[in-house]
Amino acid sequence: MRVSDRGGAPELETEGLLVNPGTEKNLVAAANAAGSSSEIVVETRNLSKVYRDFWGRSKKVALKPLDLQIRRGEIFGLLGPNGSGKTTTLKLLLGLIFPSTGEAVVFGRDATEVSKNERIGYLPEESYLYKFLDAEETLDFYGRLFDMPPEERRRRATALIEMVGLTRDRKRQLKEYSKGMTRRIGVAQALINDPELILLDEPTSGLDPIGTREMKDLILDLKARGKTVIMSSHLLADVEDVCDRIAVLHQGELKELGRVEDLLRVTDTTQVRARGLPPAALEELREVCRKFGGTEIEVGNPTITLEDLFLEVVRDADARPGRRASQPRS
Amino acid sequence: MVLEKDIPKFVEWVGPAFFSYLLGLAVFAVVVGGVAWLVQTVLYGPMAAGDRVYHGAVGLVGDLGRVSWRRVTAMTRLAVKESLRKNVLVALGLFAVVLLFAGWFLDPSSVNPGRLYLGFILTSTNLLVCLVVLVLAAFSLPADIKAKAIQTVTTKPVRTIEIVLGRFLGFSAIGTASLLVMGLAGWAFVVRSVAHEHLLTQEDLEDVAAADGSLAGYRGRTSFRQGHRHWVELGPEGSGRTDVAQGHRHAVRARESADGKRVFEVGPPEGLLEARRPLRGRLTFRDRDGSPSAKGISVGAEWGYRQYIEGSTLAAAIWTFEGIDERDFPDGLPLEMIIRVFRTHKGDIEKGIGGSVRVRNPRTQVETAPFYFTAKEFTIDSIMIPRQVAVTSPEGGTRQVDLFDELVDRKSEAVGPADAGGGGKGRIEVVLQCLVPAQYFGVAQADFYLLAGNGSFALNYLKSCLGIWFSMLLVAAIGVTFSTFLSGPVAVLATLSVLLVGQVREFLSRWYESLVTGDATIVPGGGPIESLYRIITQVSITLELEETPAVLAMKAVDTLLVSPMRLLAAVFPSLGSLGTGEFVASGFDIPLDLIAEHSLETLGYVLPCIVLGAVFLKAREVAS
Ligand SMILES: Nc1ncnc2c1ncn2[C@@H]1O[C@H](COP(=O)(O)OP(=O)(O)O)[C@@H](O)[C@H]1O
Ligand SMILES: [Mg+2]
Repeated sequence: MRVSDRGGAPELETEGLLVNPGTEKNLVAAANAAGSSSEIVVETRNLSKVYRDFWGRSKKVALKPLDLQIRRGEIFGLLGPNGSGKTTTLKLLLGLIFPSTGEAVVFGRDATEVSKNERIGYLPEESYLYKFLDAEETLDFYGRLFDMPPEERRRRATALIEMVGLTRDRKRQLKEYSKGMTRRIGVAQALINDPELILLDEPTSGLDPIGTREMKDLILDLKARGKTVIMSSHLLADVEDVCDRIAVLHQGELKELGRVEDLLRVTDTTQVRARGLPPAALEELREVCRKFGGTEIEVGNPTITLEDLFLEVVRDADARPGRRASQPRS
Repeated sequence: MVLEKDIPKFVEWVGPAFFSYLLGLAVFAVVVGGVAWLVQTVLYGPMAAGDRVYHGAVGLVGDLGRVSWRRVTAMTRLAVKESLRKNVLVALGLFAVVLLFAGWFLDPSSVNPGRLYLGFILTSTNLLVCLVVLVLAAFSLPADIKAKAIQTVTTKPVRTIEIVLGRFLGFSAIGTASLLVMGLAGWAFVVRSVAHEHLLTQEDLEDVAAADGSLAGYRGRTSFRQGHRHWVELGPEGSGRTDVAQGHRHAVRARESADGKRVFEVGPPEGLLEARRPLRGRLTFRDRDGSPSAKGISVGAEWGYRQYIEGSTLAAAIWTFEGIDERDFPDGLPLEMIIRVFRTHKGDIEKGIGGSVRVRNPRTQVETAPFYFTAKEFTIDSIMIPRQVAVTSPEGGTRQVDLFDELVDRKSEAVGPADAGGGGKGRIEVVLQCLVPAQYFGVAQADFYLLAGNGSFALNYLKSCLGIWFSMLLVAAIGVTFSTFLSGPVAVLATLSVLLVGQVREFLSRWYESLVTGDATIVPGGGPIESLYRIITQVSITLELEETPAVLAMKAVDTLLVSPMRLLAAVFPSLGSLGTGEFVASGFDIPLDLIAEHSLETLGYVLPCIVLGAVFLKAREVAS
């Protein structure tokens, strides 16, 4: 990610990298890029996970039965406090762990099937990479795992290293990298195969404000290219800024699911926004509201923030365990 | 060298071996599948378990077909880089220390220094290479799982078989490179260590006069080097050979120096680093009355490998050699023998025990006059049976005949049709007897052979390194397999245990033989329960136990145990049997048949190990 020297907003330099013209799958992706299509990329049915110890005794119910459908081109956010089962859900989708009940289907195949990985990119919670390799070797290694020919590997590695701004440090072993740099090489690694579906586990954690901003831009850029993104986060602002739809998890249970605008819209409140009205007009507006039976009339405070929603969900969940997202909110 | 079993011809071995291998593999696969099903049943119920096992098996076969070499080599390169960047070079440094240490404490004046040095170098190379590879292989995957780097890998389109195979290849590459370095260093070390020269001057020699008073030659001793000196007997022209000391001799040549004096040149040691190619025979015995018997005498609770014949009786050990070709032995038959002497009384300890060897035609029973020799312990005695030999005629008296005309049986049915040229392969018997009353010769089938030729020692050393290489591959494969589901230290222990069980494989089959034949001398002391009882009650293993009901029950349990134990042990690989260092150290050429068999055996273990490792890794949640 490179902040452009034009002084404006940070800009991603991804030329010729994420879009690989000429391949059929990219044409399909481009066709869908305009908005989320109806094609379901990820589906979970009754998916749950109980962690067990060696003897098969239940240790922790990490995910209660979950039904999700994620469509092509969406940015889907998994939101929840620490330990709510976000990572568990992502790992189930990746086949890194096996479901206790139900199933996860990715690209129409069972999540434990290896072949689906051809079209997936994954950025783990922390970048779990080989510390004794340098940036180039790392990307070359993962490129090989996609069976890429040498020429393509070299081209993509160079472009990605450039994109994440590690060109100067590309020959240094990863053990010398700072947290932010490790994250960057992690992102590059996740994009080495130009994936259609990208799973990001807490992509902004540990990043400074600029890094966070660049990451969000990257995600939006991926969306613009028709990719599907599933990200988890406990950072509300991130989710609010980039996600189309979110699922709120709490102690392994789905609490909320829907479009971000819908979730944050307060339906029983009306907001009027205007510029340059004199105080008398405000008073008159109040009058009008009162005339139509409006109460608690206030000016400003247009929506609740995601933070409010989040805290409300958590508080509500503690007070009334077992409530599901399908039930109407009070 | 102890050679308990004949080395079978590869072509005869491979068929039955492959068949029993497939059988074993099938049984093993069924057992693994059954265990997997049971475990899954506990977790998910029998139907779902069956479904999972079935899909797992189908998926595995699919994976095998989809292996990509680029991915495998990526994993291989990773393993190599990991090993190199984690300082495997320490192991090579360790080997250098071993060499220094060996140079310091190994005694070049021992009875057979070549054997000592070779044995030491090959053993320590084997140990170090295997240990390095074991540690690398066992700790790598668990470390990856712990550091979660495996999660980034398995979310790429890489199959578990590629992960396991790639790692195996990587560590094997490291092992191979270390073996190359250690092998070369060891070679240089051995060759330099045993090399020595003796000095011989005119002053060391005294004239030997012939019967007619003329000069017959010289006699004397060389200078003292590496803890020994040699007697020399030279002809009148000043050339000849030294006697054998510490397993070797030197050639001596005389030449005139510039100032007209005679100078003797003592050549490099001969016979220290050799690769003899023996032609071995089949051993039968005559007892003290001269009648055929299957065995010699056992002189106490010694291991049945070696049998004894009593001196100054009709007792004899007879070897039948087959496939003797005149073209291979144009100058006669060079016999070599390693004979143990068992003294019932001390006698003249300096003199050694005399024996005789006669060569006999198995069909006509025509026999040569005896060749006499004195048995030296721990060295190889050799006798050359010349082409022209004296045989005793039925009419009495002796006559000279050609060895291949009269003594080699080329006509018997057993031999098959003779070659058209008359030089067909034949059969011959060699009869060994001990000549001193109340002393015994101990012999084993492998210890008496015709020297059919000498191979290259360097090649033999290389072949032995190949044996180490096989062991290393085996260790790498087993280590990687265990590391797919155990933590590093436990994987090391598990690998060592498997190899340990493999070590007792031979013993278990002997015990089985002992039970089947009812011959308690093969494995004295009985099975595990009986042995335990004997240890607790301190009853000697040679004593028969009283047949109380308890003892009978004990033996019955042991009998029940033998088959499953033998089967189990037969499944485990035996590193000991892959080792060929003993051949090299004893100066015998390693037969190519043996190497071919070992290579297949190694492959036979390595392949299922890798598949098994892939199964384990696939069945495992690498991220929990
Ligand atoms: N391997 C594991 N064994 C046992 N419990 C686990 C394991 N991994 C995660 N958990 C538990 O499952 C719950 C959900 O974890 P996780 O999905 O990592 O949460 P999040 O990513 O939302 O912070 C937590 O309570 C965590 O302690
Ligand atoms: Mg998490």
